[in-house]
Amino acid sequence: MPFNQLTHRITDQDIIDSLLKEGNDGKTGEELLFRQYIYFTDQAVNKYRFNDDEAFNIYADSILVAIDMIRKRSFEGRSSLKTWLHQIFHNKCVDLLRKKTSNKNSVHRVSSIPDRLLQMADTAKTIIQEMIDKTDKDLLLQKLQEVGENCRKILMQWADGFSDKEIAASLAYKTADVVKTTRLRCLEKLKQLYKANKTN
Amino acid sequence: MDNLEYIESYFKGDLSAQDKIKFEQKIVEEKDFAEEVSFYLSIRKVSAEELSAERERFREIYQQYKVNNEVIPKQPVLLRKMWQWAAAAAVLAGLIFGWYAWLRPVDPAALADKYIDDNFQELSVTMSSRLDSLQTALDLYNKGKQDQSLKILESLALQDSIAAEAKKYAGIVCLQMEQYDKAINYFSQLSSYSLYSNPGKFYQALTLLKRNQPGDKQQAKLLLEQVVQNDLDGKETAQEWLKKW
Repeated sequence: MPFNQLTHRITDQDIIDSLLKEGNDGKTGEELLFRQYIYFTDQAVNKYRFNDDEAFNIYADSILVAIDMIRKRSFEGRSSLKTWLHQIFHNKCVDLLRKKTSNKNSVHRVSSIPDRLLQMADTAKTIIQEMIDKTDKDLLLQKLQEVGENCRKILMQWADGFSDKEIAASLAYKTADVVKTTRLRCLEKLKQLYKANKTN
Repeated sequence: MDNLEYIESYFKGDLSAQDKIKFEQKIVEEKDFAEEVSFYLSIRKVSAEELSAERERFREIYQQYKVNNEVIPKQPVLLRKMWQWAAAAAVLAGLIFGWYAWLRPVDPAALADKYIDDNFQELSVTMSSRLDSLQTALDLYNKGKQDQSLKILESLALQDSIAAEAKKYAGIVCLQMEQYDKAINYFSQLSSYSLYSNPGKFYQALTLLKRNQPGDKQQAKLLLEQVVQNDLDGKETAQEWLKKW
């Protein structure tokens, strides 16, 4: 179905109502929201000169944040969904632009373990690499789902290279310090969950 | 938690060179610590993959959008504005051209030039009682030997039987040689002949337009009006020119 036809029929309330439903209806709401303002990605390409992948990542992240906030009832409807989402999207564009310009980090490029291990001396590196290889990733992924939605979101943003300050802005935490404390607690909690299963 | 902060400091590059060595030594010496480091890195990777998977469920929608609405990267604002101005200028130029082409009065001299180019590049005999001489004159003209052609035509113009035809061609040759006064004289004489087909007045007007001296255009216009009114040779062309005058 052409996107413009779809977008003219769907109201903000339709999307919100759908997102607040459980199961497949909730998933439909997610897709509706994604489709509704997908043209924001054109702005990322045209205005900010991002490539298609970057535009997609930024928009998808904005949608994920928006979905999370709508489900937490953090969206109060004081502005339209479009205005509100655009603000999230714009902030993410600016964040990425700033990072690309200052070349300080490689946000939105999944930071691989080999990259991080490059910093390490050979002996320690070998030990860590062997331990990583033995890690039960499926179990870790399973525990990530169990650690709680807030933790999961924070950890995903952190893994994507966002600073605590940026995560605070993105996920509506009061300060970067709150994010840091929460994030470290989440890591600790996840570690305990993982270890508990491994010993069992 | 303390270990997690310590690990994070290492990977952020916040530790001094000496502390970095200590950190790596700790990995070698303490298995539990090494496990914590490996866990820190593993969870980071798994979380990144999880985020990637969350995004990916929208990928198909995005790709569909890209196919349906291929994004043409826009130019920077300044360049876009320049394009807008260029487009506006092009429209304006088009309007000016349209006005110039269709509405603006055409320079009669230009009409005369075109007529001469279209009709006088090569001449052919239409009728003659002394075909050989007239044909010779026109052949010479067609070969670019205008002087020799004119001499023959001037001599033929003295012979009554062929004078009108000779004067017509003599006027044309003079016109091409930019001897406008002589040409006007020949055409004027031609127009006084009572012929079935007499382009004298039209050619006279044509030559006046080419000479383009003060008053020539006005006189040419009067002659063209007479051509139309009297249904003389060149009437259709005269009508067309008068419309564009």
